[in-house]
Amino acid sequence: MLVGITLLTFLLSHAVPADPVTASLGEQAAADPAVVAAFRREWGLDRSPPEQYAIYLWNLVRGNFGVSISTRQPVWLDLRQRFPATIELAVVAMTLSILLGIPLGVLSAVKRDSVIDQLTRVVSLVGVSVPIFWLGLVALVIFYAGLGWVPPPGRLSATLTAPPMVTGFLLVDSLLAGRPAVALDALRHLTLPAAVLSTYNLGILARLMRGSTLDILGEDYVRTARAKGLAEKEVTLRHAARNALIPVVTVIGLSFGRLLSGTVIIESVFAWPGLGLYAFRTATSLDFPAIMGVGIVVATVYVVANLLVDIAYALIDPRIQVGQ
Amino acid sequence: MKASPLAVAALAVVSLWLALAAAAPLLAPYEPLRQDIVGRLAGPSAAHWLGTDALGRDILSRILHGARISIPVGLAAVVLAALLGALVGGLAGFVGRRFDDLAMRVTDLMLAFPTVILALVITAALGVGIRNAVIAIMIAWWPTYARFVRGLVLAVREREYVQVAYALGASDGRILCRYVAPNVASSIVVLATLDVGHAILTFASLSFLGLGPPPEVPEWGSMIAAGRNYLDEWWIATFPGLAILSLTIAFNVVGDSLRDLLDPRLRKL
Repeated sequence: MLVGITLLTFLLSHAVPADPVTASLGEQAAADPAVVAAFRREWGLDRSPPEQYAIYLWNLVRGNFGVSISTRQPVWLDLRQRFPATIELAVVAMTLSILLGIPLGVLSAVKRDSVIDQLTRVVSLVGVSVPIFWLGLVALVIFYAGLGWVPPPGRLSATLTAPPMVTGFLLVDSLLAGRPAVALDALRHLTLPAAVLSTYNLGILARLMRGSTLDILGEDYVRTARAKGLAEKEVTLRHAARNALIPVVTVIGLSFGRLLSGTVIIESVFAWPGLGLYAFRTATSLDFPAIMGVGIVVATVYVVANLLVDIAYALIDPRIQVGQ
Repeated sequence: MKASPLAVAALAVVSLWLALAAAAPLLAPYEPLRQDIVGRLAGPSAAHWLGTDALGRDILSRILHGARISIPVGLAAVVLAALLGALVGGLAGFVGRRFDDLAMRVTDLMLAFPTVILALVITAALGVGIRNAVIAIMIAWWPTYARFVRGLVLAVREREYVQVAYALGASDGRILCRYVAPNVASSIVVLATLDVGHAILTFASLSFLGLGPPPEVPEWGSMIAAGRNYLDEWWIATFPGLAILSLTIAFNVVGDSLRDLLDPRLRKL
């Protein structure tokens, strides 16, 4: 899988008509053959494509992602700085959408056609349809420019210094460093982008959970549970919701990829110094060592997220065993 | 089964947008490119219902003209992705073996790669512009259709009427065209309808990031991007966003209803 990702990015980088030399040196320098030759030698662009790929893979195996053409730093270092910012954002957004979406879906199914059901359906429809870059801007207009409830875009206020990097998650690091004021500031910066990022998943999860719960409520064993005289709450939570979760959990894993797509946009709107913004900047300057690095990291996250989903199955449903 | 009032309303909204797009040059009160520096950044008024942007261009006129880009682009991207995906997926399901293995490997790979990042790299590599944005969406999306169509073809192949056709000596080509294709086509159309809103959204996102048409072209995503530096002039970004929202909601509802009516098998997707 990971080898495939490197191959895909590599092929893409060599199939394109655009030339990274011009993209990173600028028109003027690219007109000078000596500069171009030096640049090509420096980045190994004078070798044949299979040779370049072999060199890249060999370096990768030894943990060397190469050097970014645009930031002139080792890609590994760039990724290490930016990755935690994105994961912090994505995990908070995913948690928000799970904590809100799943209860909403269950409630909506149990109280079918009630006001709350109609409301949930509207929320999920808008959630999957709204352009998040627009929602982000509107949120900034209202909560930052209008009400002044949230700080300006960024990860931390300019007056505060970041705590020493341990995990890279500002919330965790500042608490580890014993500076709750910094953690609070980081949380204030994080809330709005995470809330906006969570809308799509919230919509999807609420809708799926509703459908899934409705299906289960029609099953025989639910009727049996009711016939046994169990309280309605017990039936809903123990029998219906738990079983209804299984298809929803699959989607949580799959939608993590989409969430990471969303971070590219959200990070651009909220000036969030993460992987998404890095991907955007390096992609537009055709900085392929960096893009390949991003691709590998993102694919790894996707694989890990789906692995966690497999483990979650076993926790929800003891009949499913991991490794079968 | 009768269509719900919501579905009827959504269909009306889609039709309205199609009509607005078609008649934009007649309906727009101003030229979408006409600048008026004196009247720049003016809020909604009787002269400019939705206000003007930083160059004094009329936002209503630009939104109407923007529909002439977003709707065809959304349709084109989905149709192309569906065609390519159906071709690969159909062959994978029908021919099987090696081609199937290879095709499924490739789709696995593409699906693990976030769409926007993939589209970003493709548009950055091919150069920015509407055509390349459509190509990028097509390349990022065909794998979903390929997986879907493969599954359908595998199921249809086992049906009795296909087995009977084989027994009667029909050729592979005839079976594919006469028996398999018509049975999977409606499902593909339903999935594609569901995706049009999503495609319009993705195109607007690319355009917002500066990978769409040049900034002077009236396009919704880039109009919103232009509003980023004018948070106090809320109307610049708000109205194009509402245009996208209304259109994607309407397409999503129409797609959902179409799926429920034509193809209840897909409900679980």
